[in-house]
Amino acid sequence: MTRSDVQYDVELHRVVKRFGTLIAVDHLNLAVARGQFLTLLGPSGCGKTTTLRMIGGFEYPDAGEIVIRGQPMGRTPPYRRPTSMVFQNYALFPHLTVKENIAYGLRERGVDRQTIERRVREMLDLVSLSGLGDRYPRQLSGGQQQRVALARSLVIEPAVLLLDEPLGALDLKLRQQMQLELKRIQLRVGITFIYVTHDQEEAMTMSDVIAVMNHGRIEQLGPPEELFERPKTRFVAEFLGAANVLPATVCAADSRGACLEIAGRSITVHESGLQAGDTVFLVLRPHWLRLTAPDSHESVWRGTVIDRVYRGPVMTMRVALESETVLNVDIPSGTVPSPQLGDTVGIALLPDHLCVVRE
Amino acid sequence: MAVQVHPEPARTSRLLSPSQILVFPAILLLVSFLVLPLLLIAVYSFYSTDPVTGLMRPEGTLEQYQRIISSPIYRRVFFRSLEIAATSTSIALLLAYPVGYTLGRFVPRRYQPAALLLILVPFWTSYIVRTYGWIGFLQNGGFLDSVLSLLLPGRVQLDLLYTRAAVLIGFIHVYMPLIILPIFAVTRSLDTRLLEASADLGAPPWRTFWRVTLPLTLPGIVAGGSLFFIAVFGSFVTPQLLGGTGDLMIGNLIADQFGEAFNWPFGAALAIVITLVVLLGLVVLFRFARLEGFNETAVGQ
Repeated sequence: MTRSDVQYDVELHRVVKRFGTLIAVDHLNLAVARGQFLTLLGPSGCGKTTTLRMIGGFEYPDAGEIVIRGQPMGRTPPYRRPTSMVFQNYALFPHLTVKENIAYGLRERGVDRQTIERRVREMLDLVSLSGLGDRYPRQLSGGQQQRVALARSLVIEPAVLLLDEPLGALDLKLRQQMQLELKRIQLRVGITFIYVTHDQEEAMTMSDVIAVMNHGRIEQLGPPEELFERPKTRFVAEFLGAANVLPATVCAADSRGACLEIAGRSITVHESGLQAGDTVFLVLRPHWLRLTAPDSHESVWRGTVIDRVYRGPVMTMRVALESETVLNVDIPSGTVPSPQLGDTVGIALLPDHLCVVRE
Repeated sequence: MAVQVHPEPARTSRLLSPSQILVFPAILLLVSFLVLPLLLIAVYSFYSTDPVTGLMRPEGTLEQYQRIISSPIYRRVFFRSLEIAATSTSIALLLAYPVGYTLGRFVPRRYQPAALLLILVPFWTSYIVRTYGWIGFLQNGGFLDSVLSLLLPGRVQLDLLYTRAAVLIGFIHVYMPLIILPIFAVTRSLDTRLLEASADLGAPPWRTFWRVTLPLTLPGIVAGGSLFFIAVFGSFVTPQLLGGTGDLMIGNLIADQFGEAFNWPFGAALAIVITLVVLLGLVVLFRFARLEGFNETAVGQ
């Protein structure tokens, strides 16, 4: 694929940011295609917010280059960048009304009064706040303030919209509703979104591409389903969704597959690039496993049910294997008869639903 | 869905809660040392003076107020006081704002108490001592002149002492912390993300200052400015020590009525007039500055 096939709105080349002796962002490379919804996902302190702030121009990299729409940014200040940021706690101007907040950027650009009126009205419509234009931010609910912040950033038609955990302060229900709405708005305006969050569910709901970050680096980058189904590292496997991660030893390997020894059993995986003697990890999502009769020929392991956790649509059974490893297995809630505490059960794998990662 | 929240019924029939009782000593102090004396002054202002003995006659007359209105001297001194107070407040605001702002925004929090102390220690030093200090500094052949003669060839004389400039310098020096402190307080609680948001939306630093910083620190400017203005407007020591005969202020007139002329009713009437003027000014100012509006979010966080 040549460069001209995809237009990148934002490119980061070996970007480094240090705070004192701490390396917040460590030689980070990233390219965000035009119109993409990309999420930087990671635990607190992984460098995701610092990365976002560098793209917005609030921090400058110690090394490396940030390129936006083909222009190297260097030390360009925020007010000369084609980006706009939705801040974590919205940062609405408390002394201005909703309308004045939204008009702020347009006034800086010298847009005439009538155009401002019209654009502000359109934006209020887009974020479903028509009729609240004359209120002050403190007279709005958290969700409404959130929409104003979004409108204020979108109205200046940035090339890239940066969102720093914008839904963090909202309650669950509202957050889920806003996730869908953000996605709808992004599709409608067609602007590149770079979104920062530590909430994996939020990331999966909205993103075209997720970059999982850890220790200032990107561990894995890809569409949500790829990260979930085929994590490349143990960190990614454990950060996105529930996972049983079992240490395994490669007992034999050739170009087509390998034989792994896990918790007292050996299983064959279609995974190339492994070498006999390697220590790897087998990732098994709880819903990739099935309970069987203990003596079923399908079962790979046998164990005892030590806990049952009801989670609505599924019931998670905690099964202690003979090797003392504990596996979580999800079964549909209505299953009759469902295994009871102390029952001995067999555990079977669904075909092709497993994944081998390194540390 | 509307949910009716029932207020908790009052648990006891006690009239006052402990916190309300704790306010009493302060109220008592205010009433006995501010409200009562002020009322007394108000009463005196309606008395007349016996032209022969000079003693007060409690008889309820408006003659003191008529004297203030009819005589151009008092009007002139009144407007001069306004002018001196307004000029020195404006200059002090320009000088103190950067100090308070820097202190609140750029000085690291752990150094702020030390920096504040540097500003407050001189403030705790006697007003008179500091004002006398300026005499030595400004007088002919004083410190300022000596330094200037060293730097510039020939003999330099600024003749600053006993001028309006000296009065302004004295006021600004003595009362500047009254402005620095409120500016410091509002700046400290200024949410820097608002400044980032402004830059993000395309405003260069000076535009951000004009559109965000200034309006959000306005409560500090109004508070500091009015404290300073009031302090200067009623002053009489500084003009007496540093000013010339053309710099006497309304405070001097009042002090003279009580101290030298022994015309208490007239002094009281003058005092009531400036108190009312200042109060009226404050009401207008606080209305105009919309201080009730956003300050709970701007300052309260």
